[in-house]
Amino acid sequence: MAEPNTDLPGDRLLAYLALSPSIAILILLVAVPMVTVFAMSMQHISLGELSGPFVGLRNFERVLADPAFLNALGNTFVWVFGSVAIEMALGLGIALLLNIDFRMRGIARAVILTPYLIPTVVAVLTWHYMFNDIIGVLNYLLMAVGLISQPLLWLNSTSMAMFSVILVGVWKFFPFVVIALMGILQAIPQEQYEAADIDGASALQKFWRITLPHIMPVFLLTALLRTIWTFHKFDIIYLMTGGGPIDATTTLPVLVYQQGFVDFALGRAAATAIITFAILGVLLAVYLHLMKRAEARQ
Amino acid sequence: MSTTELSLAGSQPGGLGRYNRQAADLHYVTSRVMVYLLAFTAVSVIGFPLFWMVICSFKTSTELYQFPPAFLPHDWTLTNYRDLFIQTNFPIYFVNSLVVAGGATLLSLVVGGLGAYSLSRFKFAGMRTVSMLTLLCYMLPEVLLVIPLYLFVVDLGMADTLISLIIANTAFTLPLTMWFMRSYFNAIPASLEESAMIDGCSRFQAMRKVTLPLALPGLVSVGVFSFNHAWNEFLFALVFTSSETKKVLSLGLATWIGQDNIYSWGMLLAGAVLVTIPVVLFYLLVQRRLVVGLSEGGVKGE
Repeated sequence: MAEPNTDLPGDRLLAYLALSPSIAILILLVAVPMVTVFAMSMQHISLGELSGPFVGLRNFERVLADPAFLNALGNTFVWVFGSVAIEMALGLGIALLLNIDFRMRGIARAVILTPYLIPTVVAVLTWHYMFNDIIGVLNYLLMAVGLISQPLLWLNSTSMAMFSVILVGVWKFFPFVVIALMGILQAIPQEQYEAADIDGASALQKFWRITLPHIMPVFLLTALLRTIWTFHKFDIIYLMTGGGPIDATTTLPVLVYQQGFVDFALGRAAATAIITFAILGVLLAVYLHLMKRAEARQ
Repeated sequence: MSTTELSLAGSQPGGLGRYNRQAADLHYVTSRVMVYLLAFTAVSVIGFPLFWMVICSFKTSTELYQFPPAFLPHDWTLTNYRDLFIQTNFPIYFVNSLVVAGGATLLSLVVGGLGAYSLSRFKFAGMRTVSMLTLLCYMLPEVLLVIPLYLFVVDLGMADTLISLIIANTAFTLPLTMWFMRSYFNAIPASLEESAMIDGCSRFQAMRKVTLPLALPGLVSVGVFSFNHAWNEFLFALVFTSSETKKVLSLGLATWIGQDNIYSWGMLLAGAVLVTIPVVLFYLLVQRRLVVGLSEGGVKGE
């Protein structure tokens, strides 16, 4: 790390001058809105209004007592843990595979990483077409190989929809895990594997004793980061199902959107958003703590 | 290889050594076959949706709605692409997206680049806190910010404008730029600037002539990440804009989903392909820094 230097006269002024536009924008776009959203959560804001009378914590009480909230909370946990668990397992497997030298590995890597790069709306469009009940290629393929006997209603049945959305989310985001793990896998000293070879260690032993301990910190950090991002993901679910059928895929961010911009109850939406943020806050605190430690070590 | 052979030959009687070597060769061949088989499976399964999107965008509408589907188009056609430009507002969406993503990126690079430089080069009270706060900003849920920002946008009479989207996107691209560029500046030795200043440059000249050129690859990379973020952004666009002339690509294409009686799947898929092209081109540009960049942006390796 470069040594910070502030030994020249006028440097301090320059430092603040260079930083102040960023700070000003962040205050206007993040800090003020954060205060505002708290204020809004304690107002009764009627349909189509932007503010209303102060009602204390009544919005929070109403939200917490609402079965729709509990449903969204449950859906959020299924969505987050389902997605992250599969992403981590698949990501680790693919990263290990791509860490082996083979011909045309560059092409394989490019194809595998592409889903992460494409816009969400593109992924959604493509999967919508593939999921189609009548003309979808997915049902055709699965029936052709005999895995299913009749077409599945991927997005139009309450029991399948969450699985389908997780499937699309995993496809879109697991390459992030691959990228993160590939970096750390390449950093493991090769001598350790050579030494293990001489001692006659099996591939599985080498994985448990060398690979896993080395990648564990990054693996956990990646899992945490994916959990945070998956938790507040809105667009992929909203675009795939709109939260439906009925409310089978309504997660907390989708519920906030529906309360705020479909029902136009901004006060209630603000309260739900804050509760969502509070749950997420625990994860964020762990993440920031880990990053601070990494910073300090640098 | 030769040392292993020697040790094998040395430790065991000749016949058994050869047997072991044959077994080892067989083991090697099977494991290679496994690797290729796994790689082939992974690439086909993961790549299939991409393949399908591109292939189907060249199909005629009859083939697009036919079941069972044909894997390769019987008649390749560009009709879908032509219709997209003639029958829809796709060109308007595309320009709007360029304006929004370009505007947010430029704003973040100029303001955030300076801010990051300050955070990296100077020591002052609260520096570490400011750095951690930028990271926190980047991790805030969009749904939390969209409610108050919507209020401001309506209050200021900025509803249904592209400016509102540029500014709202900056709430995420600015912290991203600051966090990323701070680590980038940290990696450029301050001594380079100091020598330039000893040679008579002012601090500002040293920054412009020495550090800026060195930081350029970093600025390009984080510019691409920011651009991609804003290009992808959907929630702000959904809440802030409504008229056809102000829609960006993500919102424009999204409103077509489920209206396949009006907009054919062919047009949608052709649109999807065209939306992807700029993003993939940009990533090819910074491909080598991609791995580093993503890990700097979030997962900072040990």
